[in-house]
Amino acid sequence: MLFLQLLQGGVQTGALYALTAAGFALIFGATRIFHFAHGAAFTLAGYAFLMAWNAGWPWPLGALAAIAVAVLFGVAIEQLVYRPIGRHEGGFFTVFVAAFGVSIVVQNLVGMIAGRGFAVIDTPLSRATEVLPDLWIAPVFYVAIGVSALLFLALSLFLTRSHAGVALRALAQNPDLIRTYGLSSTRLSILAFALGSALAAPAAILTGMTVGLNEAMGHHVMLISMAATIVGGVGNLKGAALAGLLLGIAESVALAFVEPQWAEAVSFVVLFGFILFRPSGLFGVAVAR
Amino acid sequence: MNRPQPGRRALLGATLALPFLGRSALAQGGEPYVLGTLFPMSGPNAEYGTVFTAGAQLALQHIEADKVLKRPIRLQAEDTQALPQQAVVGMTKLANVDKASFVLVGFTAVSKAVAPVGDRAKIVMVNGGAVGPDLSGLSPYFWNTIPLAHLETEALLPYIVGERKLKRIALVYVDDPLGDAILGALRDGLPKAGGTLAGSFSVPRTAQQFAPVAARIRQTRPDAVYIASFGAQQSQIIKQLRDNGISQPLLSYSAMNLDSVKNTAEAEGLIFTTQKTDFAGGDAMTKRFAADFKARFNSDPGTYHVNYYNAVWLFGQLAAMNEAAGRPVDGETLRAALLEKREFDLVGGKGRFDDKGNLTAAIQVNELRGGALTRIAG
Repeated sequence: MLFLQLLQGGVQTGALYALTAAGFALIFGATRIFHFAHGAAFTLAGYAFLMAWNAGWPWPLGALAAIAVAVLFGVAIEQLVYRPIGRHEGGFFTVFVAAFGVSIVVQNLVGMIAGRGFAVIDTPLSRATEVLPDLWIAPVFYVAIGVSALLFLALSLFLTRSHAGVALRALAQNPDLIRTYGLSSTRLSILAFALGSALAAPAAILTGMTVGLNEAMGHHVMLISMAATIVGGVGNLKGAALAGLLLGIAESVALAFVEPQWAEAVSFVVLFGFILFRPSGLFGVAVAR
Repeated sequence: MNRPQPGRRALLGATLALPFLGRSALAQGGEPYVLGTLFPMSGPNAEYGTVFTAGAQLALQHIEADKVLKRPIRLQAEDTQALPQQAVVGMTKLANVDKASFVLVGFTAVSKAVAPVGDRAKIVMVNGGAVGPDLSGLSPYFWNTIPLAHLETEALLPYIVGERKLKRIALVYVDDPLGDAILGALRDGLPKAGGTLAGSFSVPRTAQQFAPVAARIRQTRPDAVYIASFGAQQSQIIKQLRDNGISQPLLSYSAMNLDSVKNTAEAEGLIFTTQKTDFAGGDAMTKRFAADFKARFNSDPGTYHVNYYNAVWLFGQLAAMNEAAGRPVDGETLRAALLEKREFDLVGGKGRFDDKGNLTAAIQVNELRGGALTRIAG
C-alpha cells in the first residue's frame, strides 16, 4: 500500500510540475528565450490568489486575478526586458542574467509586500481522508488531475485548431517564414509569454493549497521546469508535460526505496540519465552534425 | 592657454578626500563601533533575519538612550540566506573591510562556517538563534545567548515520555548540522527517558514535498512526531503531515517560535521548547524591553528578540567596561571583560556566562493554542 500511496502523491505533484514545465517549454519553444523568471510568474500568481482568498473573494475571481497577474508579468518582462535586450543583440547569458535579476527583484518585492516566510491557502481541499487502509487521498488530488487534463486538452486544441496556435508552432519552427507570411513575430511572442505564464497560475494556486507559498519558491519551480524541458525534449510541449509528471512520480516513488533526503536527487538522476543516453529527450529529434 | 586645470584638479581632489578627512575627525570625536550581523535577509529563511534584527535594533536604541557608550554603534548587515558559503563571504568582509569587532550570527551551519574566520581575526561572534550542541566551545570568541539543542531535548523528553506517555517518537530532520545534532540528542536521550526512536527521516534543506514522508512516518506507528527543521520548511512539514493523516502530537524546538508557525492552522497543539522568559512578572529591564518592543514593532516579543537584544546589550556592557578602563574595544578586550565579570543584568533576569561563553538559561515546554504559547512544563 505504501507504493500506491507514494504513486498517488507523485501523480498529484507531477501534474502540477507538468503545468509549470509546459508553460516554460511553450515560451522557450516558440521564442527561444530562456525565461528563467517563469518561477517568478508562478510565485506572483500564487500570492495574488492568496491575497484574493484572504480578502474573501470567491475562488473563480481569485483564480482570474492570479492568471491576470501571471499574464501581465509575462508580457511585461517580454516587452520591457527581453525585447530591448534582443534589439541590442544580447546573447543567451545577457537574457539569463536579466531574467535571474528580475526573479530576485520579484522575490524581494513579494517578501516586502506579503511578508517573509510561509503562507498557505487554507482550504479543506488539501485534507486527506483514508479511502482504503493506509491510503490517504485529499480532494485536491482529483482537482489537480482534472485541471491539468483540461488545460492540456484546451492547449492542444488551441495549438492545432486555431490560426494563432498554428502560427505559434510555426514561430518555433521558422521565425523568418512567419514574417514572409505577413504575421507579426512580436505579437506571437507576446502570445507565447501570455499563454505560458497563464499555465503557471493554476499550478501555483494548487501548490499554495498543498505545499504552501514562500517568496523564494520560484527557484525550485524553475529547477523542475528546466529539468522537465530537457527530459521531455527541448522545446517540445508534450514532452515537457510528460517529463514533469514523470519527475513528480519519480521524486515520490523513490521514497519506497531510498531515504527522503535522496528523493529530489532522484529527479536529477533521471535528468542525468537522459542527458547521457538520450540527450534529445523523450520527444526531441536527434540532429546529425 | 587654459589655466584653470590645476584648480579643477585640486577641487576634485579635495572633494574626494572629504570623506576621509571627515572620518579622521570622527575618529577623534568617536568613530562608530561596527557591529556586524550575519542573518538571512532574503530566501526561505528571511523571516528569521527580520526577527533577529528587531531584537538587536531595540538594544541599540536602549544603549543610545542610556548613553552607555562614548561612541555610537553602526549596525552593518550582511545577508547570508542561511547559507554557509554566503556567510563566510559576509564574515570576511566584516573582518577585513568593516573592521567589525562584534558579529551576531544565527543558524548552526552558518555559525560553524564563520567561526574559523572570526577566530583568526579575533572577532567576537554571538549566536542567539542556532542550537547545534557543538556550537559550545567552537572558539574562545564564539558565544551563545541561546540554550543549545541538547538542553532543549533534555527538558522536553521527561515531560513527553513521563507525563504525556508518548514513548514512540518519529523524527523528521533537516539534512544539516542542526538536524544531525537533534538526531543525536534524541538517540541518546529517548532511551534514558524510557522512550524509543520509532523512525528518523532526513530531508534536504530545499525539500518542499512532505506528503511522501508522511506516508513513511505513518508506517512507523509513532506516538508523536518531532520536527527538526527551520524557516519556511518547518511550516510546510507541519501542514503536510497534518493534511496527510498524521494526527499524533507534533514536537519541536525553539525554532518554531515564529509568527508564520503560530499563524499556521495545522500547528494547533504543537509542543515545543524555548528558554524561560517571563515578560510580565520579570525585572525592570525585562519589563522595559517588553514595553518598548511593543511600542516600536507593534507586536509582542519572542525569545529570538530577547537573545539578540541580550547579545547587543552585552556588547554595550563589555565595551563600556573597556572604555572606562581606557582599553581599546576589540575582540580580545571584549572577551577579557566577559571572563572578568561573567554575570550581567539581561532581559529575563541575571545571566551568567560559563568559560566557553555560553549563557545558562532555564527551559520551558510550551503548547501552541489559538496562535499563542501556553507554558505547560518547566
